[in-house]
Amino acid sequence: MIEFLAVYNQNWHSWWPQIHSAIYVTLGLTVCSYILAVAVGMVVALGRMSNSKTLQWISKAYVEFTRGVPTLVILFLIYFGLPGLGIVLDAFWAGVIGLGFSMGGYIAEVFRSGFQAIHSGQREAALAVGMTPLKSFLNIMLPLAVRIVLPPMLNMLILLLKDSSLCALITTPELMLTAKDIASMSFLPMHLYLLVGVIYLALSLPMSFIARLVEARMWRGMRNI
Amino acid sequence: MAMILSEKIQLYAVTLLKGAGYTISITVLTFCFAIVIGLVFGAIKAYGDRRGGAPKNFTTELVIFVIQRLALWSINIFVEVFRGLPALAVLFILYFGLAYAGLKLDPFTAAVFGLSLIGGAMLTEVFRAGFGAIHAGQREAALAVGMTPMGALRDIILPQTWRVTLPPLANYAIGLLKDTAIVSAIAAPEIMFFARNLVTRTFDTEIIYILVAIIYFCLSFPLARLADRFEKQARQM
Repeated sequence: MIEFLAVYNQNWHSWWPQIHSAIYVTLGLTVCSYILAVAVGMVVALGRMSNSKTLQWISKAYVEFTRGVPTLVILFLIYFGLPGLGIVLDAFWAGVIGLGFSMGGYIAEVFRSGFQAIHSGQREAALAVGMTPLKSFLNIMLPLAVRIVLPPMLNMLILLLKDSSLCALITTPELMLTAKDIASMSFLPMHLYLLVGVIYLALSLPMSFIARLVEARMWRGMRNI
Repeated sequence: MAMILSEKIQLYAVTLLKGAGYTISITVLTFCFAIVIGLVFGAIKAYGDRRGGAPKNFTTELVIFVIQRLALWSINIFVEVFRGLPALAVLFILYFGLAYAGLKLDPFTAAVFGLSLIGGAMLTEVFRAGFGAIHAGQREAALAVGMTPMGALRDIILPQTWRVTLPPLANYAIGLLKDTAIVSAIAAPEIMFFARNLVTRTFDTEIIYILVAIIYFCLSFPLARLADRFEKQARQM
């Protein structure tokens, strides 16, 4: 055990700069792809709730696609497949786009179920007092939906943090790939992967703690809407 | 080398479908192990802090109490760790890390092992929620008429939990099927592994990965319909 930990002590100075910057890449990937996923999810959810049959069909197909196809395949299609069509993306942005679009389908479903959980009378009442559809959406529906949607949305952020490790396979220089590189140079795979595991836990456990707090808080003093 | 597209697709599809067989067996094996882990740990989490019968002497009570606490703590730690770790990290630790420590697992075993641990952590929470949804009176009544705790769990409680647990179980199966794509990173044979080998030989990147996407979609689509049906049934009940 002592010997095992002594290795960290010895190599810390050479490992830390790389791992330090890799943490930022991982966080950057997570945040950027989350923003994209929320935007995509919002659009797709609106599409599914719209009156147009075509829009409904397209967004349904999109959700089914992201539900059925692994994120890794989407990442590979974007990073290795798109250059064949003349679109070359660097590994970071390919990762952001791949993660964002694959998580977008899930977030769309979260939004949709959030809006569907709101009693239709809320919207009808808003329209009846003369609000425009947009205004009723922004001022009535959205605030009500937020408390239903927020806890699963935070869980999605944790999922994205974990999924960002997949970008290692399309050579984004994030935590997992950095660990793999250092491990193959130093022949210390156990040390590096355990270290990276601890870092991932250190990032995700506070998030899941916050998610649980928010969930508990959201439903405090809440009746069915 | 001048093959027409349909010939190429046929050629690739044969290889990829062979991979699909492996993907299915990894998924099924992992699913079974994860259910076993989830059921056992979920039951312990839900019922681990109670015990029937009259109190015995102080030492026995203390030992039972300590064992119960230790079991609950270790299960909680297990769940938190494997829900917080990326699958890739778990697989790398099991495959490359353990090999370094002297235990060489073959990729297939490491893949099933790693995914089962992750799935087990997830299903522990699913089953705990399932057991939690059953009124305590059900168990008490079963015990009162003389059933053993195991018998009550098996014949009374478990059949009633399916309503709560089937939808997340089906969704887990879909997620698992997709997660098996990751195990190609430790060179376990499955669709993605065969696809990457094909790509390095033929450079037909787009065609191959689109085929892969189609195969995964075809595999998960029936599962997704099943999940939707379970969810609808659960809402009606």
